[in-house]
Amino acid sequence: MEATEEERLLLTQRLKAAVHYTVGCLCQDVAEDKDVQFTKQTIAAISEITFRQCDNFAKDLEMFARHAKRSTVTTEDVKLLARRSNSLLKYITQKSEELASSNMEQKEKKKKKSSAAKGGKIPGEQEAAVNESEDSNMA
Amino acid sequence: GRRPSSLQHKSALFSYVTGQKQIHGHENWSLSPEEFETWDRLYRIKESDGVKEPILPQTRFETLENMEEIPHEEEETHKLSLSEWRIWQNHPFPTFVVDHSDRCYHFISVMEMIELMRYEQGDCSYELEIRPHLHLEDVNVQRNKSHLLTTNS
Repeated sequence: MEATEEERLLLTQRLKAAVHYTVGCLCQDVAEDKDVQFTKQTIAAISEITFRQCDNFAKDLEMFARHAKRSTVTTEDVKLLARRSNSLLKYITQKSEELASSNMEQKEKKKKKSSAAKGGKIPGEQEAAVNESEDSNMA
Repeated sequence: GRRPSSLQHKSALFSYVTGQKQIHGHENWSLSPEEFETWDRLYRIKESDGVKEPILPQTRFETLENMEEIPHEEEETHKLSLSEWRIWQNHPFPTFVVDHSDRCYHFISVMEMIELMRYEQGDCSYELEIRPHLHLEDVNVQRNKSHLLTTNS
């Protein structure tokens, strides 16, 4: 029991370190763009806020998916996170559409490839294969 | 204090809504003449009150195209501030019937963390604690040009 608690703490620290590093990079971009400097303490605070915000997001996403009787979180749930601000919702929706269309393109390519390679495949089977890859994209 | 009196006002309003006498005239969404009179006399902010009308700050995104309409900011309003009393916010405030939420506790924790870092100069205790746990495979190393690993601010 104690070992798992320790493991959990280590995983938390590891994740916090990754978030902190990435927040630092993003802040660097903003700093250059706006010609300002962030103190290390500011970056640490933004990083901790981001880490904790992920807890809010994760719990909400799980609830949104369950509300739609799904166990897999989809882009629809992510859009719901952004529902309170029109600007944010528009931005996220646009990104989601871009993702969807690039996924479609890749799927089309795959379809062509697989149908070219395996010539006479039963249409139903192929469909199932596509659906499988769709699921793994979402996970 | 202010809280009890505002609660009294609230319960006074509730009793108007639920009071027997009021229910008859209450098929409309709007105030009845009696209710309007009460509102006008006790709660409505008038010029003679010498207080500015309270308004909430509008959401604005620094990094996004803003769609929300920008309200014409009048001098006569009092914009309610969510940061003016920040030094009070590293402890949970009292509650009445609604408990603090998880995100509220997150907020309090971060305010406390900021308070503890406030007088730090140079080196950051958070960074010193967390940095050894960084696994480079967790992050986008393409961005590694960042000066963060090397600079001292």
